[in-house]
Amino acid sequence: MTQSHDQHTEHIAVDDPIIEVRDASVTYDEGTSYVLDGVSLDLGRGEILGVVGESGSGKSMLASALLDAVPDPGLLSGTIEYHPDSGAATDILELDTEDLRALRWEEISMVFQGAMSSFNPTMSLRKHFVETLEAHDEDVEAGMDRAHELLEDLYLEPDRVLSSYPHELSGGMQQRALIALSLVLEPEVLVMDEPTAALDLLMQRSILLLLDDLKEKYDLTMLFITHDLPLVAALADRMAIMYAFRLIEIGQTEEIINHAAHPYTRALLNSTPNLDAPLEEMRPIEGQSPAPINMPDGCAYHPRCPLAEDQCRTEVPDFHIVAGDHGSACFNWRESYDEIELVHLDDGERAIPEGDRQ
Amino acid sequence: MNSYFVKRTGRAILTIWLVMTLTFGMIRLIPGGPIEMLRARLIRQGVDPSRIDAIVQTYKQDPTPVYVEYYEYVTSLLSGNMGQSFYYQEPVSALIVDALPWTVFVMVTATILLFVIAILLGALMAYHEGTAFDTVASSASILLSSIPFYVLAIGFVVVLSYQFGLFPARYRVGPGVEPGFTVQFLSNAIYHAALPIASVVLTQAGLQALAMRGNSIQVLGEDFVRVARLRGLSDRRIAVRYVGRNAILPMYTGFLTLIGFNIGGSVILEQVFTYPGIGYYMYQALINRDYALMMGVFLIITTTLVVSVYIADLTYGLIDPRVQSGGQSEAY
Repeated sequence: MTQSHDQHTEHIAVDDPIIEVRDASVTYDEGTSYVLDGVSLDLGRGEILGVVGESGSGKSMLASALLDAVPDPGLLSGTIEYHPDSGAATDILELDTEDLRALRWEEISMVFQGAMSSFNPTMSLRKHFVETLEAHDEDVEAGMDRAHELLEDLYLEPDRVLSSYPHELSGGMQQRALIALSLVLEPEVLVMDEPTAALDLLMQRSILLLLDDLKEKYDLTMLFITHDLPLVAALADRMAIMYAFRLIEIGQTEEIINHAAHPYTRALLNSTPNLDAPLEEMRPIEGQSPAPINMPDGCAYHPRCPLAEDQCRTEVPDFHIVAGDHGSACFNWRESYDEIELVHLDDGERAIPEGDRQ
Repeated sequence: MNSYFVKRTGRAILTIWLVMTLTFGMIRLIPGGPIEMLRARLIRQGVDPSRIDAIVQTYKQDPTPVYVEYYEYVTSLLSGNMGQSFYYQEPVSALIVDALPWTVFVMVTATILLFVIAILLGALMAYHEGTAFDTVASSASILLSSIPFYVLAIGFVVVLSYQFGLFPARYRVGPGVEPGFTVQFLSNAIYHAALPIASVVLTQAGLQALAMRGNSIQVLGEDFVRVARLRGLSDRRIAVRYVGRNAILPMYTGFLTLIGFNIGGSVILEQVFTYPGIGYYMYQALINRDYALMMGVFLIITTTLVVSVYIADLTYGLIDPRVQSGGQSEAY
């Protein structure tokens, strides 16, 4: 057994974190089951971190937790420290109502998955911007100038969009207008919960390109949540993989795509449909991910994992350092390289075509 | 927009014309008539049969063909002449002009009041969904809605008017009160209208409150309310502009049509309270076989309903930006 020589850690740290999440958990029934289970994660200043997971793996919960906005009656525990550019770090979960109200949107902003349902249907877009500025005691005129510029950056006609009602805009326009609205108070961090899920492929691609430009121009840090692994691989600096409400692997995007060390991540990469790959090479993952009320002991993936052994069934693995800042929550990560081959790599092809990388 | 406007206007006019024609036809199918009524009354009074024949003869007219009658009926209606009330010996239009404002006063006040109460109560129930308050208020709403308004009205007359003498049991104002914009007249009118209004409000507010509760709970679960909270908007603004507005909008059409229906419902209510509005005259016309008055009131009641639906159709687009009076918003 080689495990004894492994380096373990509770979390993979980064040099200059803007948000440090430690042991964040969300429960809806006072501790018998968790919909976010002890997630520890650093978000580096100025990076794009892609969080990938299946539906119901807790990724939206993680996004809500970053703004202390877990839907009622969920209970959020742990610490979430925010490090502003200057000044002392604050634990978001300790803030009082007024400070939390100021932090949201001014420092950490969020784009939800359904842009169509994120706007009040009986109010014009301009009202949405104005009332947001007013609620945060901002200068409305200067703020609206910023809104104009943001909308232009997103290739929208500011005057037309601002005087429209939500239903008068297409899905892609609403999504871009929502991004502009989330950036109007010049936040440091933008959390995006499946911002492109409801859009067609072309629109997804163009919004991703726009996000990259916005990130450079406004010096943003982004947390991008999606179930679409190839999509986020084209955008993110680092990737974090979630399975059954826990974080199971994190590392540089290159590392994850080419040297994923967790059996689940490797299986996920192999199950990603690719037009270039023949159908026989598609490898769906057998079985189903567990429900929060029926979590297996030990590693949550063990019932589906070909490498599972006794230790996996009793003990929850912490992060094993694979290389540098690449950590994998698996006891048998070394074996996974041999046991689960990445099909796309075998063909000399990558899961993500080179041309799509920014 | 224009073709929609023309279409709705045309349909409203067609409906009113149909009502006019049906009224004309149906009332001629009712057996008996004012002459029979008069003869019966004279017999009861013990008048000599030969004299009865002579009296009746003076009211008899030469039979005219139906189409001539219909033509005269329509043309005089269009010139505002609804004929002479046989029973009251007054022009029908004069009776209606005198009575309609009182009915409108009672019913419009009641409908506005019941909607204001329903909206506030419904929103409160939604915000406190699942609490004891919600349970009690919902049960009370269902209970009150299941009581017909005339049952409550009779209860009010018996208990509050006759037993305790707290409220008047009849008439628009007390004897000797001069009409005019005086405090005495206005307060007296409200005092007399209080029980009719209360019986409508109490029996109809519950259903609307439950509708408002349902709408509000649905809106409270919408993403845009959650996003608005994250954007830091005040609870008050979210309650009014986000939840309130989106929950009330679907009730607007119901509000206008309920005004129309309630004016029709005044027939029974005004009879219970002996409140001389158009509903009271309708009843009097029915028992006295007063065709002209019956037709007049019937026309006014149906026209009110048609007009309130028409207004709802035309104005919905103004209050809901999603509807450009496109046609999907038709009330009926």
